[in-house]
Amino acid sequence: MENNLEGSGERKLQCSDVSKCFQLLESILDGANIPDSQEILKSKLAKCQPCFEHFHLEQAIKEVLKNKCTKHEVPSELVANIRQKIEEIK
Amino acid sequence: MSEVQRKKYTEQEKNRIFDEEFMPHIDSMYNFGYRLTFDEDDAKDLVQDTYLKAYRFINSFEQGTNAKAWLFRILKNSFINDYRKKSKQPAKVDYQEVETYYNSEDVDYKMTSDLRVDSLKDMLGDEISNALNSLAVDFRTVIILCDLEGFTYEEMAKILDIPIGTVRSRLHRARNLLKDKLRSYAQNMGYKTDEEE
Repeated sequence: MENNLEGSGERKLQCSDVSKCFQLLESILDGANIPDSQEILKSKLAKCQPCFEHFHLEQAIKEVLKNKCTKHEVPSELVANIRQKIEEIK
Repeated sequence: MSEVQRKKYTEQEKNRIFDEEFMPHIDSMYNFGYRLTFDEDDAKDLVQDTYLKAYRFINSFEQGTNAKAWLFRILKNSFINDYRKKSKQPAKVDYQEVETYYNSEDVDYKMTSDLRVDSLKDMLGDEISNALNSLAVDFRTVIILCDLEGFTYEEMAKILDIPIGTVRSRLHRARNLLKDKLRSYAQNMGYKTDEEE
C-alpha cells in the first residue's frame, strides 16, 4: 500500500505537523545523516500530499540550481599569480 | 585559523598539501568569490588572498581533512573582513542584522508556493542565476554552499561560524525567498501579454 507513490488518492490532504515534516524532508534532501531516512521519506511521500508536493518542489529547485546556474571559468592567469605570490613569501 | 598549530610541515609537505589538497578546489573557490562579489577582479583578489592565507597558516591545517571547507571558511572571512570594509557598495543585509530581526530557530514552515515543478524545468540558466543573485548575500551564501557546492549542515556551520539550527533556518528562509523570485519569473513567462498593458 505504501509503495504506491503515485496514488495521490490515498494521501491525506492536510499535514498534521508541517514544520516538523518539512524540516525533516529538507534535511533528508540535503543529505543529513538521519537513521532510516529513505524509509521515512518513502512513507511520508506515500501518505501525505503536502509533504509529497513540498519534497518534489524542493528537490526540483535543488536540481536546477546545481545544473543550470552559470559557472564562471577560472581566469587563466590566476593560478600562476597565486604561485608567484607564494614563491615571494616563502 | 585560530586553531593551535599541530606541527610544523616540511617545505616538501607544504608543497604537496598545497598542490594536492588546496589547488583542486580553485574552481569552486573562484565561483564562490564571483557569486559573492559579482566582479571578476574582486573574485580573483579574494581567491588569491585566500590561497596566500592558506599557505601562511598551513600548519594549522591537518592534512587529509576537509580542505575545501577550510578554504571556504577563509574566503568567507576575507570577504566579510576585508572586501566588505573596503567595498564602496554597502552590504544590503548584514549577518548580525539578520540574526537580530529573526529568532534563529523560529521558522515559519508552511505551504507557500504555487510554483510548479514543470515551470522550473522550463527556466533558463540565466533566470535561475539571476534569481539566486538577487538574494541578499547572507541568504545567497547558504544556497551556494548547500545546493551548488554540496556542503553538509555541519560543514556550513563551521564555514559560517553559526549553529546548525541557524544554518537550517537560514537555508529555509533563503529558499522561500528564492521561490518568490522564481514564481515571479514563472508568472512572467505565463502572462507575458498581460504585462504589456
